[in-house]
Amino acid sequence: MNPLYALSRREFLRNSAVVGAAVALPAILPSRLFGQNAPSKQITVGFIGVGNIAQGHMDTLLGFDDVRILAVSDVDRAHRDAAAKHINTGYGKNDCKAYADFREMLARPDLDAIWVCTPDHWHALAAIEAMRHGKDVYVEKPLTLTIREGRELVNAARKYNRVAQTGTQQRSSKRFHDTAEFIRNGGLGKLDRIDILIPANNKHCGATWAAEPVPEGLDWDMWLGPAPWRPFNRQGCHYNFRFILDCAAGQVTNWGVHYIDIAQWALGMDESGPVEIEGHGEFPTTGLFSTATKVDFTCRYANGVMLRCHTRYDGVGDGNVRFFGERGWVDVSRSANTASDPMLLKEITARQGAIKIPLSTNHHDNFISCIRSRQRPISDVEFGHRTTSVCNLGNIAMQLGRKLRWDPVREEFADDVIANRMRQRSMRAPWSLV
Amino acid sequence: MAENTPSTETRGGRSRGSSEFRNYEEWFTASPDPWAEIAKLEHGSDRTFATTVRSMVMNAEPAQRPAMETRLLQVLANPKSTEVARMFIVRMLALIGSEKCVPALAPLLADPRTTDVARYALDEITDPAIDEIYRNALGQLSGPAKVGLIGSIGLRGDIKAIGALIALEKNAGETAEVRTAATRALERLTTKA
Repeated sequence: MNPLYALSRREFLRNSAVVGAAVALPAILPSRLFGQNAPSKQITVGFIGVGNIAQGHMDTLLGFDDVRILAVSDVDRAHRDAAAKHINTGYGKNDCKAYADFREMLARPDLDAIWVCTPDHWHALAAIEAMRHGKDVYVEKPLTLTIREGRELVNAARKYNRVAQTGTQQRSSKRFHDTAEFIRNGGLGKLDRIDILIPANNKHCGATWAAEPVPEGLDWDMWLGPAPWRPFNRQGCHYNFRFILDCAAGQVTNWGVHYIDIAQWALGMDESGPVEIEGHGEFPTTGLFSTATKVDFTCRYANGVMLRCHTRYDGVGDGNVRFFGERGWVDVSRSANTASDPMLLKEITARQGAIKIPLSTNHHDNFISCIRSRQRPISDVEFGHRTTSVCNLGNIAMQLGRKLRWDPVREEFADDVIANRMRQRSMRAPWSLV
Repeated sequence: MAENTPSTETRGGRSRGSSEFRNYEEWFTASPDPWAEIAKLEHGSDRTFATTVRSMVMNAEPAQRPAMETRLLQVLANPKSTEVARMFIVRMLALIGSEKCVPALAPLLADPRTTDVARYALDEITDPAIDEIYRNALGQLSGPAKVGLIGSIGLRGDIKAIGALIALEKNAGETAEVRTAATRALERLTTKA
């Protein structure tokens, strides 16, 4: 028997929860209704991008009786073949098909939902195209590369009436949920400031680089897609794209997005954002990597609360968010909840405030349930867009090195032409948001 | 840029003549002009000077930007500028460019090998002159370059392009990609109109 089938569903989910630290999925059995596992009722899934981050998602979904992964696509043949083999082995069947071009996969009418697990510069295009084909989407974080892409993605979700979940899965962790709810209810009294620490870069490369032969089976032109063309170099492809501004925004959107998301949630700013941003980052002046190696930016919200996001240098490979208010501070990370007074921790878990934030304890389950109910998921793309926008605002402010005023309603900067032009980027033909 | 060196300077009550300064400066290597250095950019090469120019562009006061735009256009026009340099330049023009870019970029827009290069700068500039050269270039391009340009027209919201896009959509001689792009751009433009 295949090892995957040798596990009970519960055991499988428990084990899959530790696959991939960046995914770190909660080890909770889906609470969704049973009896949905008949083939005709299964949610059928395809993947766009099946590298590092997709592996945890695939393993988790393999444990869902009412979900069936039918297709995977990736521009790297090694990735897509390995993923299809993994899925087929997991199901003990041979019907998961691998595609080189995601557009061919999206033309299949038998797919209900798409997991977008590409590098960041592809998120918006892949998700919008999937929704245009009537698919619901789960989009890995950060939602998009630019602010404009984010707004376009949200508009597409509404236009095509699609369920669209952002992969900021900390919203499906009770620890983060209860802390956000506590803050939302004024548990700390008047909130003063929020401090977010994010890890330093975990990858490094030299000051110069050279073109290398494209590995056999990798469609480098398609991997770049809308990003400006550059020659292939191993250091600038899988995973490391995170540290190249043409493709991502470094640790600000890799880790910062998770903790800024909790801050936005706690502040009740899910459909808004700060009004002022300033920061100072250290950006490499040479080499292949171009995202900030030292992050430090501060946002001011209209209610006066200040949010600071900055790099930590204590070697901890996780972030955390600390809320400071009249009654002291509370801190939450993936590993712990701490506070200036133990009583605050008891109050957090007691959940006695009048405001109740919707509770999800499994991000995948929440998405699948919403596909069935047509409700908006816990990390709806509007929320994901607003959180990603804060990251991008910080990144723009650090690059410009001056204080910027932001209108979260119009989603534009006041009196700064250059900053406004940095909200979007042209795409390499033939790619376009249209 | 080289700083202007004063002919004399007084320090600690002692006056030093220009010859002393010449000796003093021999200790240093003059910094190359970053505006000249960026013309030599290549993939993988040191981009320290590009970083310098980028900082200058980003921090330029509004009154300084026209002069800076002129300097960027000069590097763009330099036949010795590398392709990577030209790409860098247009991305700087995307930040501070104006309608002054049109004469330099219109020929690049109409050449399918460089359409993207031109769009990187022009897409960000709101000016009717740019909408006009985009519409004009439609008839000169084909393939992916044309699809990309149609996307830009759609995003810019140029409703004057609706007629040309309808013609493309209906033209059986165009590729499926071009016709689909035209349909999508029209959907956006007619929703706005």
